[in-house]
Parts: sequence; C-alpha cells; structure tokens
Amino acid sequence: MRPLDPRLLRHARASRTHIAVTAVFGVGTTAVVVVQALLLAQVIVAGFSRAARPGEVAGPIAALSAAVLVRAGLMAAQERLAHRAAVRVIAQLRAAVLARLTRSPDLAAGRDAAAEATLLTRGLDGLEGYLTKYLPQLLLAATLTPGLLVVILWQDPWSALAMAITLPLIPAFMALIGWSTQSLAARRLVSMQRLGAQVLDLITGLPTLHALGRARAQALRVREVGEAYRRATMSTLRLAFTSSLVLESFATLSVALVAVGIGLRLVSGRMDLETGLAVLILAPEVYLPLRLVGVHYHAAADGVAAAEQALGILDGPVPAAASPAGRLRSGRLPAGPVSVHGRGISVQRRGRRAPDGLSLDLYPGEVVALIGPNGSGKSTAVEVLLGLRAPEEGRVLLRAHDGSRPHRAGDGELEPAAVDLADVDPQAWHQRLAWVPQRPVVLPDTLEANLWFDGPRDQRDRAAALTGLDAVVTTLPEGWQTRVGHGGHGLSAGQRQLLGLTRAVLRQDAELVILDEPTAHLDVVTERSVLRLIGYWRERGAAVLVIAHRPTLAAQADRAVEVGARLEPSLT
Amino acid sequence: MSRHWLVRALRALDPDPRRLALAVLVGTAALGSAIGLMATSAWLISRAAQQPPVLYLQVAIVATRALGISRGVLRYTERLVGHDVALRGVTTVRERLYRALAEADPAVITGLRRGDLLARVGGDLDLLADLVVRGLLPIAVTLTSLIGGAALVALVLPEAGAVVAATLLLAGGLVSWLAARSARQAERDGDRARRELSAEVLTVLDGAAELRVAGVLAPRLARAAAAEKDLGRAREAAARTGAWSLGVATLATGLGTVVATALALTATAQGRLAPVWIAVVALTPLAAAEAVGALPAAAVQLVRSRGAAERVLALIDTAADPRPSEHPQPHPPVYPQPHPPLHPPVHPQAHLRAQALRCAHPATRGTADRGGPPEREHPVGPLTLDLPPGRRIALIGPSGSGKSTVLLTLAGMLPPRSGAITVNAEGGPVPVQDLPEDALRRTVHLTAEDAHLFTTTLRENLRLADPFADDEALLEVLDRVGLGTWTRSLPQGLDTVIGSGGRDVSGGERRRLLLARALLTRAGVLLIDEGTEHLDPRSADELVRTLLDGSLTPATVVLVTHQLTALDAADEVIALSAAGEVLPPG
Repeated sequence: MRPLDPRLLRHARASRTHIAVTAVFGVGTTAVVVVQALLLAQVIVAGFSRAARPGEVAGPIAALSAAVLVRAGLMAAQERLAHRAAVRVIAQLRAAVLARLTRSPDLAAGRDAAAEATLLTRGLDGLEGYLTKYLPQLLLAATLTPGLLVVILWQDPWSALAMAITLPLIPAFMALIGWSTQSLAARRLVSMQRLGAQVLDLITGLPTLHALGRARAQALRVREVGEAYRRATMSTLRLAFTSSLVLESFATLSVALVAVGIGLRLVSGRMDLETGLAVLILAPEVYLPLRLVGVHYHAAADGVAAAEQALGILDGPVPAAASPAGRLRSGRLPAGPVSVHGRGISVQRRGRRAPDGLSLDLYPGEVVALIGPNGSGKSTAVEVLLGLRAPEEGRVLLRAHDGSRPHRAGDGELEPAAVDLADVDPQAWHQRLAWVPQRPVVLPDTLEANLWFDGPRDQRDRAAALTGLDAVVTTLPEGWQTRVGHGGHGLSAGQRQLLGLTRAVLRQDAELVILDEPTAHLDVVTERSVLRLIGYWRERGAAVLVIAHRPTLAAQADRAVEVGARLEPSLT
Repeated sequence: MSRHWLVRALRALDPDPRRLALAVLVGTAALGSAIGLMATSAWLISRAAQQPPVLYLQVAIVATRALGISRGVLRYTERLVGHDVALRGVTTVRERLYRALAEADPAVITGLRRGDLLARVGGDLDLLADLVVRGLLPIAVTLTSLIGGAALVALVLPEAGAVVAATLLLAGGLVSWLAARSARQAERDGDRARRELSAEVLTVLDGAAELRVAGVLAPRLARAAAAEKDLGRAREAAARTGAWSLGVATLATGLGTVVATALALTATAQGRLAPVWIAVVALTPLAAAEAVGALPAAAVQLVRSRGAAERVLALIDTAADPRPSEHPQPHPPVYPQPHPPLHPPVHPQAHLRAQALRCAHPATRGTADRGGPPEREHPVGPLTLDLPPGRRIALIGPSGSGKSTVLLTLAGMLPPRSGAITVNAEGGPVPVQDLPEDALRRTVHLTAEDAHLFTTTLRENLRLADPFADDEALLEVLDRVGLGTWTRSLPQGLDTVIGSGGRDVSGGERRRLLLARALLTRAGVLLIDEGTEHLDPRSADELVRTLLDGSLTPATVVLVTHQLTALDAADEVIALSAAGEVLPPG
C-alpha cells in the first residue's frame, strides 16, 4: 500500500487542500505539545525544588491551561475538517469513476460488474477511515515527530540521539516482517476466504438441501468448516499482528530507555530535572503518530485498495467507444429515412473476433433477423451499429433511403450519398433509433417515470396496450405510480422486456428499431403480441433488426443474417 | 424483544468466560504497563534528581525496562485471545443459525429472500465478531485501566486521584456517548441517502449504454450526485458531534492533569507529600488519557453491531418459531421405518392427488421490512390434479401466475390455502402434511427454479441426492441427461469442482445437472421447475420432450416450462392465467 498516491491528488482536488490544512495543523499541534511539556515540567520542578504553592506559579499554570484549551480546539477543528474533506474527496472520486464507467460500452469484456458495483457503493466509503485517521497521523509523523526531535535535541542531545537511532528501526523492521510474512499471509487469506465461502454456500443452498432432505445432515459440516475457518484465521492473525508487536515494543521500550538514560544523567548531575521531565513528557508523543499509523493501518488499507482500484479505472485505457475524443464530427446525418450498411465489421474480444467480418443492410420497412450461436457477437454487432463501440475493422455507413435496395453493394456504390457512422454525432444518431437490450434497465422510480416519456397519457396507454405492459400495470399495487427497481417492486425478466418494448414504441419517430432477444423471457401469449409489434414497426416504415434465438421470431423476419466468430490465433 | 439485545447477543455468542476474562486481564496489563511506565519513569527521574547512590534507583530502573518490554507482548497476546474468543462465538452462532434454519418449517425458508439470507450470514456475522473484538473488549480493558490509573494516583494523593478518576471517566463516558449518538445519527439520516445513492449508482452502471442511447444518462448522473450530496450532509452532521466530543475529552483530561498537579503542589507545600511524588501525580493521568482515545471507536462499534445482532437474532427466532400446526397430533408413520434406512426406499407407486387446491406464496418478508408495499399475493387455483404413477403433465402460464407456488405446495414446502394434497399409502390416501418429512422428501422431489449447485465436486453435488451412489451410477444418470460425454471430457471428471471459484457451468449444463440430481433421488414424483434461462432451443426442446414422453424416467413428472414446442408429448397440459386461474384446456 502506498501511503499517499499522487494520482489521488490529481483526480480528487479536495484531497490537496485536505493535505495542506492537515499539515498546518500538524505544525500547530507540535508547537502546543512542546509548550505544554515545558510548562508542566516547570510547574513540577517549582514544587519539587522550592515547595512552591500553586499561587506562586499561577502564570505557568494559567498558560498550561490555555495550551490545553488550544490543543483541544486544534484537535476538534482538525477532526471536523478531515471529515468534511473526506466527504468531498469520496464524492469527487465516485462521480469521476461513475462518469468514466458509463462511457464504456461493454460490461462483459474483461470487466467485473459486481466488483465495480461494490467499489462504487461500499468500497469508496472505506476511504473515510484513510482520510480522517490514517493520513493525518501519517502527516503528524512527518511534522510532529521530527519537530519534537529537534526540540529534544536542543534540550537533551543524548535522548535525541537514542530516539533518532530507534525511530527508523520501527518502519524498517515492520517492512521486513511485512515482506517475509506477506506471501504466507496472502496464501492463508485465500484458504480462509474459501472456507468462509463454503459456509455461505451451504446456507444459500438450504432450500435445495431441504428439498433433498439433507439439510440436517449438513449441520455438522457447518461446524467443521467453521472450526477450520477459525483455525486458518488465527494462524493468519498470529502473523499479521507481529508487525504491530514490533511497533508497540519498540515505541515503549525506547521511551523506557530514554527515561533510564535521563535518570542516570540526573544522578551524575549532568542534567537538570526540568529538562529531564520535559523530555520524558515529550518522548511518548514522538512515537505516538507512528503507533497510530500502525493502529489505523488495517482500516485504511481497505479504503486505499478501493482508491487504487478507482484510480486504476480513471487512468486506465479509454474504452474503445466509437467516439474518440477530438475527432471532428463533420458527417451530416441525412434528413429523411436512412438505410444502414455494415461492411466487414470485426471486433476483437478475448482472443476471438466476434463478429468476424459481418456485413448487413437494413432498409426502412424491412425486418432483419440476426442469428448465430452464443458468443458469436450478435450483441457486439448491435453495439457497433448503435455507435457505442468502434469496430477494429470495417465500418457502418448511413445513406439517405431512395427506395432502391442494393444488397451487398460495394462501398463504391454506396459512397457518394453515404456518411460514415464514426463521423456522425452519436447523440443525433441515437435520437433516430430505439433499442431494447436483453435486460432493459429499471430505474429506481415509478413505473411511469421509467417510460422516459412525458407526452399525453392516452399515448402512453395505447403504447402499453400494444406491448401488453397494461396487463402488468393492473397487477401492480399502485398502477403506473408503483415504485419499481432497487428497493421497490421487483419486475420479472419478462416484465422488464415489456417495459423496454413500451419505451421503444413511445419513441414514435424511430427509424431504426433494434430488439435484442425480445421474447426470451416471455410466454407464448406475450410472444405473439411481440410478433404483432414487429409487424407494427414494419408498417410504420421503420427498419427492424431482431436478435433471434427462437425460430418463431426468426421466421417473422424478411431476411436472416448469420453472425460468425473466429478464433484469433495471434492473441493468446 | 423482551431482553436487551446485548444480553441476547452475548448469550448467542456464548463466549468461554475464562478466555474472555483472560483477554480482559492481558489487555488491562498491556495498557497498565504504559501507564505504569510513565509513573515509574516520573518517580525515577525525580528521585535521581536528588542524586542518591545509583543503587537506590536499581529497582525503578529494572521496573522501567520491564514495563517497556512487556507492553508489546501483552498487547499481542490480548489481540490473539480476543480474536479467538470472537471467532469461536461466531462459529457457534453460525452453527446455531444453520441448525435453526435446517430444522425450520420449509415455508419459512421459502419466504426468506436469498439476498437477505446471504447478507445476514456473511456481513452480519462478521459484525457480530467485531462486537467482541472492537466493542466490548476495548471498553472493558479501557475502563479497568482508567480506574487502575486513577487508583494509582489516589494511593499517592487521594484528592488528586479523585480528580483524575472524575475527569477520565467523564471524558471517556462523554466521548463514548457522543460517538455512539453521532454514529446512530449518521446511520439514521445517512441510511436513506446511502440506499438511494447505491440504487442510482447500480442502475446507472447496469444500464449505462441503454440510458445513453435513450438520451437520459445525464439526468440520472445528476440524481446520483444529488443523493451523494444528501449523504455528505448527513455524514458531516455526525462528524460535527464527533469533533466536539474529541475536543471536550481532550480538554477534560488536560485540565484534570493541571488540577491534579496543582493539588500535588499544595500537598507538598503543606508537607503532606514528598516532592518526588509530584511528577508521578502529574504524569500518570497524561498516560492514562491516551487510553480514552480507544473508547469512541468501541462505542461506534456497539452501535454498528447492534443492528447486525438484532437481524441475526431475529432470523434465528423466525426459524425456530414453530408454525401453528393444523394437525396437532404426532405424525403417524405411514411407511414402516424400523431403522433409519441405509438406502432411500423407492416409492415408484406413489399416487399424488390434489383436490380443489388453492395455494399462495407467503408475503415476502424482506419487502415489508423495508417499508415497501407488501407483495401482492393472489391465490392460485382451484386446481384438481390426479397423478397416478407415471403420469406426466406440463404446467404453463405467464411469469408471476403462480406456477412455482403450485410446485412448492405440492412438494409440501408451503401449506395449502385450502383443499388437500394426498398421497397413497397402505390403507388409503394420506395428506402429505402428515407424512414424516423424510418419507415425503423421498416420495415427492422438487427441483426449484433457483435450485442450488454447491461449490464442490460434481460427485458431491450429485451424491446429495443419494449418498451411496457409486461413480458408475452417477455416470449412468449423467449419460441419461446428456452430460456423460461432457463429464468424461473434463480433465478431473467427477472430481471437477463447480460453482464460484471452480469451473463455470453454462445454463444448459446447470439444468441437466439439476435434472440428474433429481433422477438420483429416485422419488416417485418429480416436480421440476425449469428456469427461464437463455438456452439453445433445439437441445432444450429435446430435454423437455424426453422428460414428458417418459423416455428419461418412469417417475411421475410435473414440469413447469416455457418451452412450448415439446408440450405435445405430455399426458396433460395445464395452463394458468396471469391471475392464477386454471384456463380451460386448449
């Protein structure tokens, strides 16, 4: 774990001020700590050597009280500012990562959607511990510790020397122990996690075990796995705690040695009591930031890991979206109906080309089925047509529709009147089409808000009647106003598809309608209504592209285009 | 809840009192060494300033060094013992939870959300472990050490001891109380914002491409930003309380030191206190004050673990709650069971009948807990079924029409709303509820839509259905469902680990494995709920067909399916409407 990642400063501006402010507080705290120690030593010695009454040292006592007050104020202010900064840094990082991830077209390609979701929800919140506890102590270790050392050097060079020798030993030994135990601990951690997952697995599968009549028989296994988990965890902890053992031991032992050294110098008369007491009071404060860095290390490590992941995403390669920044979008989308021509489209994914050299033509008023086995690149081809992804090879041409249908025409024939999709503003293109993905998204909102439509109500109802969503609405407790999505009423996969289809119908001027397996989750009755729906779009003169698994769906199309993939031997 | 949650949580964790006491003792000794080190050093330095012969200082020097060494070792021991106690406790709770769930009425398990269960078993149990390690132990250790430190000062100068005890305990109590309060406040105010934020984030992440194409991505990102702002406000409000408490605690312990020092000066001037002790009175509370710093975090931990403890305890209670039985008399043994049978007896002649059956899924608990609207439950039926041995019927209907509920009820895992389900036995039909659970499971088997494949070998997954099946029998069944070649092609064959962390199985492979497991139960009646996964339609058709035309198994089959092309092979097709009514044939 890097104590402070410079990328964090770059991506979260709030972290810069946070560090500057914390450093200033570190200097202030140092001054107060020194003043407090000197004053306390002075008061004690006054009582010790001349039996002074408190009234005789009223000045120093008042000053001491004032120093205590200032220190308390500094700590409170620092804590408050640290939390405020943490809130801002986390918000900035989360917004940046979210914006970045939504630019990427393809969640499946080598990205772990679950990990990203965890990172963006719980993961980044872990930074709070790092920013409010670990980092301030780290900065104190960089300001307070050396500052106090200088003061001690001025008061009692011998103690300063002893500390200057022991201080670097602490991080050195910790690093040494960390290295030698790291691989071992990592290996144990893996087996530990596996054991933990096994128990979860058994409990998740309880309904199944019930159905098999085996639930009770597995209770013993839960106990065994639990015991094994405890033993594995304990052996990991025995290792993990050694570094803090070294830290604590060194810190306290050093204070003890300094104290004994001062005592011996006092006996021989080479030092006065006031200096000795001041150094003794300061000695633990020198080691305190280091010890607290150790205490907060584990809490901070989670947050730092999350931050590293987030910064990795922010600094990672720009996803191959079809909208390379800076590209001049000089292409003008033809005003009237367009025909779409994919030519030799290939996309590389995980060692294969899927699709591999796909060519297809879509004309207004025509239904084309895209068929092919799983993994052949049907959905990827759709992403290319949507302009969400740039193909490695080939291109998509858009042409004003003139009534002719030159299938398989060469680029040369198309060229004069055609514009390359890569030259077109993607937003303008998106406004002309409707897309229903396999699992349409359900926003945490009312069902009505999920239509993304603020036109008249009867239009909404007609669209719902057309798709069959109206039947779903009647079963919902609050009809259109029912809250759906996360934390609301759950929609089944089939109901989601009906929602997606209704959205598509409501985009009335869509010239191109793309449906990704629209009947996958639907029963036979609803499937029939989807087939009717495709006919409806055809009649309205839209071009319809359907990814079809079911033969009934493919049979509805005017033409079928087969998508094929090819292994790419040069990769892997 | 009748008793305090903490008492109940401790009872459930059932920590070994000796281990717990050891952890507190060692922890107190560790903190005590730090306080003692300061006190001894203060005395040593003051005494040395009087320049006695070095011999007089030997004991103090040795004590100082010993205290310096012991602290680290004691702290290390404390942490190990504490974690051990906590982990043992969690193992106990986990097993208890599992047993409660395993012995619970199946309807309880069916009514639980899978996600809820996972969250409680995973995260909540960890929080329960933290209750001990990060909550109770530090509080116990700090309190004992603070009292010890104050007592040490009191031995030297009683009035100073009283002041130190008062300020330390005041500071400790105040910071704990305020920290807990601000944590509760943050939880209460931040919870809604946090849920809203994660819902927005997850949705945007999930549907980014679709939202972008539809042109609604930007407003969604703005909503996420607004939720973030709300969350930030709640957090800052909580942090303000925390900052105040930290400042006040620092002030209290600091002023305590000043007052104690002043009292020591007065006592010395009055001749009641030897001068060497002034430094001890002044510096001991300084070291003790550092221990107060551990209290806020511990108090916050209590707050955090409380919710987790209550959720876990509620789950155990729910599971252990006996269902008010409609058949109070003890189950009559229908099938003679002189000994627990080694091999599951086969009941190929089971004859299942349902008369005017109405069934409904219990309202899902999870939704109601979160304040959402309760899920609508419409009863399914009335349904009359006659399933003589070998009859094969298909059950179809739109999503949400209650097909799965019918299967769960037929399997005896949900009580019927009305009507009766009987199975033949010696001496006539018997209601399924009256069958001992073992016998029922071996007569009627249900493979649910979301049936679980465990993260273990293929062999162990299949053997759950028949613990005594040998590899030959397993491969024979796999051949029947069309996975024989696949299994033999795997490098590790039946030893292949599947599931998370193991080999991925495709949707089709998963369904065939579940079917193989169902066949291995050798139950007379198989109730099979097919998922709605994307499958290669040709092979899916074939599988459904072999199930329905009797070529796969001679057992009675009730199949819930979306695959409509193979339905002609069934003896009977029953269609449910969206409202759960049985549609007339055709």
